Amino acid sequence: MNSNTIVENLRKEIENFSLQTKVEKVGKVIEVFDGIAKVSGLSDIKSSEMVTFAQGETGVALNLEEDTIGVIILGDFSKIKEGDEVKATGKILEISVGDDILGRVVNAIGVPIDGKGLLKNSKTYPIEKVAPGVVTRQSVSDPVSTGIKVIDAIIPVGRGQRELIIGDRQTGKTALAIDTILNQKGQNMICVYVSIGQKDSKLRKIEARLEEGGAMKYTVIVSAGASEAAALSYIAPYTGVSIAEYFMDQGKDVLVIYDDLSKHAVAYREISLLLRRPPGREAYPGDVFYLHSRLLERACRRNEKYGGGSITAFPIIETQAGDISAYIPTNVISITDGQIFLETDLFYKGIRPAVNVGSSVSRVGSAAQIKAMKKVAGTLKLDLAQFRELEAFSQFGSDLDESTKRQLERGKRSVEILKQLQYAPVKTEHQVVVFYALTKGYMDDIDISKIKEFESGLIEYTENNAKAFYKEVMESKMWTDKGEEQLKHAIEEFKKSFIK
Amino acid sequence: MTNASNNDIAYAIYLSLKNKEDSGQVGVMRNIATFLSKKRLLNKSEKILASLKKIINKEEGRILVKVSSVEKISPNTKKELDDFLKKRYKAREIIFQEVINKEVLGGIRLEIENEVIDLSVKNRIDKLQEYLIRK
Repeated sequence: MNSNTIVENLRKEIENFSLQTKVEKVGKVIEVFDGIAKVSGLSDIKSSEMVTFAQGETGVALNLEEDTIGVIILGDFSKIKEGDEVKATGKILEISVGDDILGRVVNAIGVPIDGKGLLKNSKTYPIEKVAPGVVTRQSVSDPVSTGIKVIDAIIPVGRGQRELIIGDRQTGKTALAIDTILNQKGQNMICVYVSIGQKDSKLRKIEARLEEGGAMKYTVIVSAGASEAAALSYIAPYTGVSIAEYFMDQGKDVLVIYDDLSKHAVAYREISLLLRRPPGREAYPGDVFYLHSRLLERACRRNEKYGGGSITAFPIIETQAGDISAYIPTNVISITDGQIFLETDLFYKGIRPAVNVGSSVSRVGSAAQIKAMKKVAGTLKLDLAQFRELEAFSQFGSDLDESTKRQLERGKRSVEILKQLQYAPVKTEHQVVVFYALTKGYMDDIDISKIKEFESGLIEYTENNAKAFYKEVMESKMWTDKGEEQLKHAIEEFKKSFIK
Repeated sequence: MTNASNNDIAYAIYLSLKNKEDSGQVGVMRNIATFLSKKRLLNKSEKILASLKKIINKEEGRILVKVSSVEKISPNTKKELDDFLKKRYKAREIIFQEVINKEVLGGIRLEIENEVIDLSVKNRIDKLQEYLIRK
């Protein structure tokens, strides 16, 4: 393009430009500190209304006082100075959304930061929205297939559920969430991963992993990094759920992961204290419960009349030294429909994912579990609980009766089966076969060290030799007697060859 | 009482002074000064006074307008502005505060309390820049 064409284009654009003069509401910055600006004027501004500063930065009015308003600055506040003009926009903070946001990494205000250019969006969504009402909802009935055996079997999650992932640092919380995203390939699910206050290096790794697994095609990453202002960490989860709502409004199922809400609460505490709101327990402000409840309440399963679609939420909470009775963990536990509790001890014992089956629960997910899985994994949780009790008890004495010994051996094999490597999701039908073999006692005489080998071999063998069983489980979610016979036969055949 | 805001105090002062003869006002003034000193509010007197000014202007239908332009505005323009603003804000009196500001480049910029009506060339150029960047 030569310079004449550029000039010509510019001339045309300038000719087409028309300016409508309108009255603008303007205030003045009185003081700026730590990402907060006190602004005078703007007497009829709404709460959570977006404002723009002279340098182009955006802010959100949070504290509405008699003569001033407290604004959180979404971006670099170092350029804003006393006396600067602040314009009200009349709009509640909103982000641009569109189908082309899939596969992108955006910041807390929905602007791409992955260097792949701007989004060509036509729609805007407010980041704060009232959660869908009772009449629009429906009970959870479809499962989210996480590909993680312990979750799919014992703590099943349904589409539209809010399941908390809770645990100490380095127990595999993020890994669990990433594995779930990776397993959504071909499951008709869109994923939104919201990274709050995480290291940029960690986020880069996650993005690369998702890209490698082909998961970025159906995933959006919302990032509010550790180096960015607390205000951005505060709004990032709301941005994430707004993106999810955009897809849900099209009748799609969406999975949102908030990694993590402890840092979100800390960011909100920072803002609240700077805005001089009264501190409460652990210095968190009084509305920290509402902060998370209004966010997680937006996860729902909408009924067909209102367009269908669902938002499943996986909030993550990091505990300190396993203390789940701290303020934020108890809050989020009470808001969610269950929790997956990860433990450091289990992690270092080599039980990974380090899920503590006893403390983990899914309050609504069992309704979404497929019948076949329910049948094979129904008693697994109880069996494992009994095993742990017996295991502790058996350490004191060696004389055990036969049935106790059998139970202990079965328990050890169950624990072994539930172990799973990272980035290795297992399909639901494969899980059904493995749990079938386990609960029917086919693995009782296999050496524990060979259980993993047996499991992978069994999946491979049955896939070729029990096709009818697989077909039944995949299509009608339950097997028939004929299919079961075929599977039994296949397992026995495989076992014979395996033991040899 | 300690929670009364500057605006509340200013409004109370306005009400107590309203409809008072000059001689009566002196007594009220003295009472106000005593009250402020007793309640340790003298350090806020500047802000209270500013609020009082705003209240008086509002009650009496008076509006302060800051007009920024490159050169002095003509009486004709002033008259037109006066009519327009009186109509728009349903005011009885418009007080112009004229400011010569070369930065507006041309046209005028009106500031009325919290509102700004920007008819300056600078604003047009800024908006054009925004439009071209967005394009």
